[in-house]
Amino acid sequence: MIKPLLVALYEVRIYLRDRGDLAFSLLLPIVTFALMYGAFGGQDTFHGTAHVVNEDQGGAYSILLLERLEENDCLDVNLLSVQEANSKLDRADLLLILYIPHGFSDAVASGEQGQLVFKQRGNGGDEGQVVASIVRSVVDELAQEFQVHAQVSEALEGTGIGQEQIDVTVEQLIEEERQEPTVTVGEETLGGSADPVEAFLPTIVTMYVLFAITLTARVLVEERRRGTLERLLTTRIGVGQLFFGKFLAFCSRGFIQTLILLGLAYAVFQMFTPLSFIQALVIALVFIAAASGLGLLIASVARTEDQAVWIAVVFTMAMVLLGGTFFEIPEVGVMSVLSKISVNTYANDALKAVINEGSSLADVGMQLAVLAGVAVVALPLGRLLFKVLPGGR
Amino acid sequence: MLKPFLIAKNLHKSFNSRKAVDRVSFSIRKGEIFGLLGPNGAGKTTTIRILSTVLEPDRGDVIIGGYSIRRNPDAVRRLIGVCPQELALYEELSAIDNLVFFGRMVGLSGSEAKAQAVARLKLVGLTGRAKGRVDKFSGGMKRRVNLAVSLMGHPKLLFMDEPTVGIDPQSRNRIYRTIERLRDRGMTILYTTHYMEEANRLCDRVAIIDAGRIIAMDTPLALRSRIGPPEQVTLEDVFLKLTGRRLRD
Ligand SMILES: Nc1ncnc2c1ncn2[C@@H]1O[C@H](COP(=O)(O)OP(=O)(O)OP(=O)(O)O)[C@@H](O)[C@H]1O
Ligand SMILES: [Mg+2]
Repeated sequence: MIKPLLVALYEVRIYLRDRGDLAFSLLLPIVTFALMYGAFGGQDTFHGTAHVVNEDQGGAYSILLLERLEENDCLDVNLLSVQEANSKLDRADLLLILYIPHGFSDAVASGEQGQLVFKQRGNGGDEGQVVASIVRSVVDELAQEFQVHAQVSEALEGTGIGQEQIDVTVEQLIEEERQEPTVTVGEETLGGSADPVEAFLPTIVTMYVLFAITLTARVLVEERRRGTLERLLTTRIGVGQLFFGKFLAFCSRGFIQTLILLGLAYAVFQMFTPLSFIQALVIALVFIAAASGLGLLIASVARTEDQAVWIAVVFTMAMVLLGGTFFEIPEVGVMSVLSKISVNTYANDALKAVINEGSSLADVGMQLAVLAGVAVVALPLGRLLFKVLPGGR
Repeated sequence: MLKPFLIAKNLHKSFNSRKAVDRVSFSIRKGEIFGLLGPNGAGKTTTIRILSTVLEPDRGDVIIGGYSIRRNPDAVRRLIGVCPQELALYEELSAIDNLVFFGRMVGLSGSEAKAQAVARLKLVGLTGRAKGRVDKFSGGMKRRVNLAVSLMGHPKLLFMDEPTVGIDPQSRNRIYRTIERLRDRGMTILYTTHYMEEANRLCDRVAIIDAGRIIAMDTPLALRSRIGPPEQVTLEDVFLKLTGRRLRD
């Protein structure tokens, strides 16, 4: 029984020495993921900069306004001098700038209308327009608070209640309203998960694992052509042992690849807990066994190395596209039915459930069973069709 | 001479109704170097594949060391070593790793395989390059590794399928010396080649095979005597006379 293990061990040594193979199975997935992350990642919600010129230096209300703008999660505040602002607008470096004019605070304090000014080129640009509307809503909120303050003070004038007490009480009320608004607006994200890492990282890992394993069929066909398999048959390893050794070899290289990729994902994105990492590895292992069975089946039917490569590529592409690697498969419809024939679907679903939803392995039992079933069917079938020498054993 | 170590009886093998091996019978005595000579496509490699249990014959049987390849192939495999016509090596691995790997596959323990690998590399003159990757080797060096691998596990009977194809006289001479040393240690060898002086020099007896059939079998001297005075006739003359000058393609 040691012989199949040795076959696997030597093949893994060859794999670890083959730079091209390593680059394909490790570097390429990392690059692909980085590209997808660059395309879809990072900017899932709006974030902009409010460029502000404050001519109302030291004014209590302008300071309050700037504070409120800073507090807003979507905005950064960038203070500019008048000269800077004007030249940037002239050169169209900036398209929209908020001016807080002289005497703004005095005007507000005395109950007059405080006037803010947006200076903009054209329509102010996309970002400018969004920033302007956020600024308007912040200003509206402030104005309403002032109004409440003013009206309460007016109504209570002459009742002997001190101004300070009025201010504190009103401030408390407003704070309460802010903490627990009367009307709230919730968010529901439809289609894709908002987080591209969680949505795509598992699918890209399974894609490359399937690619790497099915393409390994080429190596086996090459061995048949070169005669190393035939030579092995004149030693004391049986065809069945040899086949099992190759299965272990396929599994080992797939597992090494997965371990490194998921380990990197763990380190870089902190997307696992120790438990979910182990669970992900178990799912990956079952997927790898299925993929290895399919890879051996390809090696058994392919007559030449070119054939092996073509079958592997076409097969993997079909599995990958139907497996929801680059886009979510809708839950109903033709695609959803077709996706059921892809091994990647089951692996991706199980991995996402464990990583994103905190599911246990029992929750993804159906997916694991399907993957194990594929391995159990593909292996004997591959063994049946596996010939070391055409016309021979 | 000693009793036969290998007896091939009436072997047949066809591929899609094309006869590759046809009614082949011969025997090899213990300690003998037996040459199998024939033009391209004559059936030499197919014969070796049958003898080495890789291919099953359509008809006939082979007895090696008392064991039938049909009924007891495992026992046969314990007695044989095969040096294939094509270089069957893991080119990404070093010479010593190849030897140790195949050594483990013939059932040696790790340390036995290591020790034998070192000894075999010395025998073929590659001690200095033991750790070099095979894909960086010259053709002659690869041929010598190919031979060394087939000697792992001390086989009693060695099949050598054109072991000297495409290499320089230095490497070829080294291989001759190795074969002669193996013979001196009592190994039985079946040797195929297209080089007639090679067969003349090394083989105790030769069989000439053409289109799957053995058409002559004797000592080189006796074969040469058939067509003229042996000191004036080469084995190549005999070969061409018997197999004809027609191209085999
Ligand atoms: N696996 C196979 N399938 C079909 N035909 C085969 C197979 N193996 C050998 N043949 C055919 O059998 C015949 C004998 O081939 P074989 O390789 O035994 O010849 P050979 O004497 O070794 O030739 P060479 O000197 O070129 O090595 C050839 O016609 C060859 O095409
Ligand atoms: Mg041949």
